Amino acid sequence: MRLAFNEDQATFSTVLGQMLDNEAEAGFQTVEDWGRFAYGAALDTRLDEAGFFDAAREEDLGPVAAAAMIHEVAKAPVVIECAASALLRPFLGEDIPRPLAVVVDDAPGAVRFLPQARAIIAISDRAVRLARLDGQAKPEESLFAYPMGTIDGGLSWETLDVDPQAIRTLWQIALAAELGGVLDGGLGSVLRYVREREQFGRPLGSFQGVQHRLAEDAVWIEGGRLLTLRAAARLDPADAALALGHIQSHATRIGYDLHQFMGAMGLTLEHPLHRWTYRARALRAEMGGAPHAFLDYADTRWGGR
Amino acid sequence: MDFAWSDENDAFRTKVSDFLDQNLPNDWQAIARHGPGSREQTEFSLSFCPQLAAAGFLVPHWPAEWGGADRPTWEHFILGEEMWAAGEPRGGQYMNVNWIGPVLMRYGSEEQKHRYLPPMAAGRAIWCQGFSEPGAGSDLASLRTKALRDGDDYIINGQKIWTSYAGLAETCFLLARTGEGRSGIAVFLVPMDTPGIEVRAIPSLIGHGDIHEVFFTDVRIPSSCRLGEEGEGWTIISYALANERVGIPRYEMSSRELDAMVAELKSRGGFGNAAIRTRAAEAAAACDAARMLVYRVVDERARGEPPGTAANLARVAVVEADHKVTDFGMDFLPDCYSGSDHAAFQAHHERAIVTGIAAGAAEIQLNLVARRHLDLPKGA
Repeated sequence: MRLAFNEDQATFSTVLGQMLDNEAEAGFQTVEDWGRFAYGAALDTRLDEAGFFDAAREEDLGPVAAAAMIHEVAKAPVVIECAASALLRPFLGEDIPRPLAVVVDDAPGAVRFLPQARAIIAISDRAVRLARLDGQAKPEESLFAYPMGTIDGGLSWETLDVDPQAIRTLWQIALAAELGGVLDGGLGSVLRYVREREQFGRPLGSFQGVQHRLAEDAVWIEGGRLLTLRAAARLDPADAALALGHIQSHATRIGYDLHQFMGAMGLTLEHPLHRWTYRARALRAEMGGAPHAFLDYADTRWGGR
Repeated sequence: MDFAWSDENDAFRTKVSDFLDQNLPNDWQAIARHGPGSREQTEFSLSFCPQLAAAGFLVPHWPAEWGGADRPTWEHFILGEEMWAAGEPRGGQYMNVNWIGPVLMRYGSEEQKHRYLPPMAAGRAIWCQGFSEPGAGSDLASLRTKALRDGDDYIINGQKIWTSYAGLAETCFLLARTGEGRSGIAVFLVPMDTPGIEVRAIPSLIGHGDIHEVFFTDVRIPSSCRLGEEGEGWTIISYALANERVGIPRYEMSSRELDAMVAELKSRGGFGNAAIRTRAAEAAAACDAARMLVYRVVDERARGEPPGTAANLARVAVVEADHKVTDFGMDFLPDCYSGSDHAAFQAHHERAIVTGIAAGAAEIQLNLVARRHLDLPKGA
């Protein structure tokens, strides 16, 4: 049992942190378009060129480093397609393009990242299929702070030679890491605000009513982060379902708190809070949301009725 | 990162578990039903802890000099998980093992170490902690019990309350005031048979004889009973609480009780409902989140890192886990909380009430998470 990164994972994490800190796109002050989201194309390219999306395949980095990376990248106010590229793509075979869009069990409606994606992955109990995209994706207006799209045109599907259950497990871990990171990023943003914003002659963050709720949020996020890293280390289906269920089940309350303590400032597009909370709204419903993740877990741990 | 137990860890856990299976008496569940803080369990510990000591399962993590075997931090924690999962047959002696002994090793005089550590290592010592007072619960630093210097002695006057184990303890780890403010607090190791000490049991939800009032009226003790220096008490107690707060792996018992609740539901054909299955998994998630947060504290300690804020986060999560499991049982197995057929569920419920209160209220931990972990400003 050792809950610290190994030397390679620590170096990976440090370099990634420096890249995220230094990327102009990562600093919300420099976001020029106060829209619902900003796709961090430059950050995406730099991470890709530096090989960060291949970490899961490296023996000394592995899925743990990939899951930690997804969490950290999701903390940024800009959005890039990281989760599928970092945790699915390394295990799907050779020559898989990215960015990727992922759809599970033929879920209806618009799909995250489809406008940017060069391929779509469809996961079901029976198979994992891939279709390369060449202009078939159509952007859709959406409440969520992700680029969303639908397919407008025929696709040519190929079935990948992978274990569908293993890929489903990886996708649960990836979603848990992304949602945990999104909530963590939003929490960081609200913490900066309540430390400085004064009402009744003192910082908002000095009020116990604010402190306790943010402290609970931090406990849930950190517990979820550790559950996610454990799932990434063991690649166990029950661990993955538990991590995703845990963080999805707390996302609603955390999102409420973040907006509540940002007050009217959080209603504006001037402040990027919505870039975290409206990503969380999408992620908390992925794969059926917390109830389905918990049912998966119950099946594995306790079996039937 | 490595979330797997080593073969050595697994072997140690099996040894402890086997020992408990073979040596806990047939009526153990009837004793354990009263809870680790009960008079019954504390009395039981006086016969069982010497067996643990003889088998090397009481203080393996202590230095050999004081009866231990210099075993690693993780083994101490595995031992605690197995003990707590079994219902904590060490009773109140878990405190000796987890923090009173280590505190004495760090701050005690040679005379104090030689007097108190060998009986602890042998499993024959019962202590109580004289912390809370009628006017000083969560705000522990406002305690008013006074220790006035009188030549080579101190004279103690005051009252402690909600004191576990006081009915059987031979020694009290007492906080008393020698001056003003936090720097005016000192620790005294007070023999409970000293004239002027009166112990009264307080009837409580968690069992009769579990918590007490302790009155100190002109209690004269020699200055050699003082632990450390005058004014060092708050430093000592901070060190002690850092050990105490993660010393109880409550999530382990909660997790196993959850399995027992699910087994009971399945025996009735009542675990097919999706809402019930979801709630069970939600409780399991809380248990494992608490487990991971506690493991991080142990891991930091094992790697020799200074204590950070991880223990505060862990303790909040442990409280939530205990409550989610007991709420699951009470919601879906309400009949098990009457009668005597499901004593373990009832005992778990009683312990869950205590979890967020004993060793520092959960709200105090939230204060500490907010200020230390989230760097939020202190309130007015």
